Amino acid sequence: MSFERIKPHFPWITLVVLILIVGIANPSFFDPAGLLTLVSDVVPLFIMALGMTFAIYIGGIDLSVQQLANLVTVIATVYLAEFGIAVAVIAIVAGFAIGVISGFVTTRLYVPSFVSTLAMGFVALSAAKFLSGQRALYMDAELRDASFGWMFGNTAGIPHELAIAVVLLVVAWFLQTRTTFGRALKAVGSGELAAIASGLNVDRVKILAFAISGVFAAIAGLLFSVKLSGGDANLANGFLLLAIVAVLVGGTPLTGGVGGVVNTAIGTLIVMVIRSAMVYLEIDATQQQMVFGIVLIAAIALTIDRSKLRGVVK
Amino acid sequence: MTDITAQSAPGARFLTRERIIKWTPLLVLVFLVLLFPFFEWLEDFGAGKEHMYLADSRFFSIRNAARIFIAATPALMVAIGVTFIIIMGSIDLSMEGTVSVCAVIFAFAFIGWGGTLASWAWLAIPVALLVGAALGFINGLVHVRLKIPSFMASLAMGFVGTGLALLLTGGDRIRVEDELFRSLLTVRWFNFPIMVYVAAVMLLIAWFIQSRTTLGRNFYAVGGGEELAHASGLNVNRVRIMGFTLAGVFFAVGALLAVGRIGIAETATGNNFMFVSITSVVVGGTALWGGIGGVWNTLVGVLIVNVINNGMVVIGLPNFLQDGVLGILVILAVVLSTDRKSVSFVK
Repeated sequence: MSFERIKPHFPWITLVVLILIVGIANPSFFDPAGLLTLVSDVVPLFIMALGMTFAIYIGGIDLSVQQLANLVTVIATVYLAEFGIAVAVIAIVAGFAIGVISGFVTTRLYVPSFVSTLAMGFVALSAAKFLSGQRALYMDAELRDASFGWMFGNTAGIPHELAIAVVLLVVAWFLQTRTTFGRALKAVGSGELAAIASGLNVDRVKILAFAISGVFAAIAGLLFSVKLSGGDANLANGFLLLAIVAVLVGGTPLTGGVGGVVNTAIGTLIVMVIRSAMVYLEIDATQQQMVFGIVLIAAIALTIDRSKLRGVVK
Repeated sequence: MTDITAQSAPGARFLTRERIIKWTPLLVLVFLVLLFPFFEWLEDFGAGKEHMYLADSRFFSIRNAARIFIAATPALMVAIGVTFIIIMGSIDLSMEGTVSVCAVIFAFAFIGWGGTLASWAWLAIPVALLVGAALGFINGLVHVRLKIPSFMASLAMGFVGTGLALLLTGGDRIRVEDELFRSLLTVRWFNFPIMVYVAAVMLLIAWFIQSRTTLGRNFYAVGGGEELAHASGLNVNRVRIMGFTLAGVFFAVGALLAVGRIGIAETATGNNFMFVSITSVVVGGTALWGGIGGVWNTLVGVLIVNVINNGMVVIGLPNFLQDGVLGILVILAVVLSTDRKSVSFVK
């Protein structure tokens, strides 16, 4: 097998190598129950990263996901008593709407997605602060279990959370590889001018990509809210950069058109392994952030397939 | 026919499209500066009070201008640093880490070497600038040598920086209480504290580098078309590494001013600089795809963002609304200053 053919497989090879390193250094890492807990804990981050993949796949970025998730935790907590399980619909509609507005501002008003999504994130933050009255809110435990208790059970040893993540991954994968929309995404990501020239409605594809990102961020927020049984305008803070990192480490570069949702699954697992490794390898709390950064550089240097970065590396 | 005549007499019309778009950010700034006093006037008018527009404004006063400038100076330094990178068409997200590390190392060196500017502790200032340059240099090396796109390389370097600051402080805050150093904030010349003049001098230096040195020209050459720059014999990689190093120095100046402003150096000193500075750069009219804009645009952009933030507080806009209004105004400012005819699509 030539070097060129191994390249696309670097992300999961990196993952396996990392797991082996941590496992050999501390065999208790391989404890199945512990691993399952680790993986379930990373599910909200994974869902957010999954949505972000679509924005990055077309060469943009979505910086509103964290604030959107914050907003959804507040919406879910405030309206749970009134609407029950239907708050999920409200959350998803909110995510879709904010994504569509971001996409519209980006494509029709020519504001770079870096700025438009950041600004829409601020709008979402304002809405979250308004709805929550700037306080941390708590869900009624009974109501929560009645509507969303199914999210956190166990069936045959598999946490339902994990099942939700797998279902969403399959949906995203189907969208990306088995639909015309997915093909259009690839075309836009690989070369926008060519996609325009071949008659594709590029604006609509891009707006939809941001909308999908918004919907996934909303689902992540909902899950998070139910998990922590509350809502707060700052609850999901700290997720944004990790979600971006998860997408990038998985091998979906910011230039677009390469990588995809399966890469993001691998990327999220890499982030998870690096972070939990520091606990297993007993790295001092004050050193963890720095070690994380250095390992991250190494992981990115290994996983990105430079032959597919068109032209120059900016 | 009309096209040809329009091209042959470019100076004929004073208000060309390009010229209007070029000056839009400044017009937006002027508009905002006049807008907030209007809300004050409206409030007093509703209450039936005497109110001379502008003359009686709390927003449109020297005191408040000083307040806006004080808040803006550290962000301006960071934004100028990242402007050079954005002109090259790259991006630098490492500023939060770099600012924290420079602030913390400066504080340790300053206190360790005497604790007052009147002693050898002044050496802490060049040390901080060197640390900033070194971090920027490493950032550039990681980006160029490992061929990692600058977004990812600098984001990861930012984590390393924040981590390093945390490692150095162990989570503690370091107080810098030297009166001579704090005179950056406390001593005022013509109503404005010294830090504003320091920032003005740095701005002039940045403008000099941008427009009067080969390095500055090269930034635009790389941003305008890298293959072309490379083909014409420019060592693009060297320009990039120097750009990131220069940005690091400006981040360090930002760190010094931030410490001078609040008198504390800690891991969180760098927080919030990333999104604010890049937003300011874009609002000022520098294009994220490179080659367009410069440090004067960044000055206007930073002032726009800070005027909005300050104005919303002065007119008493409810706290929960402020983030959203800032977001919408930022979008509007960028929309107004984008030349839609010169861009085919935006990522």
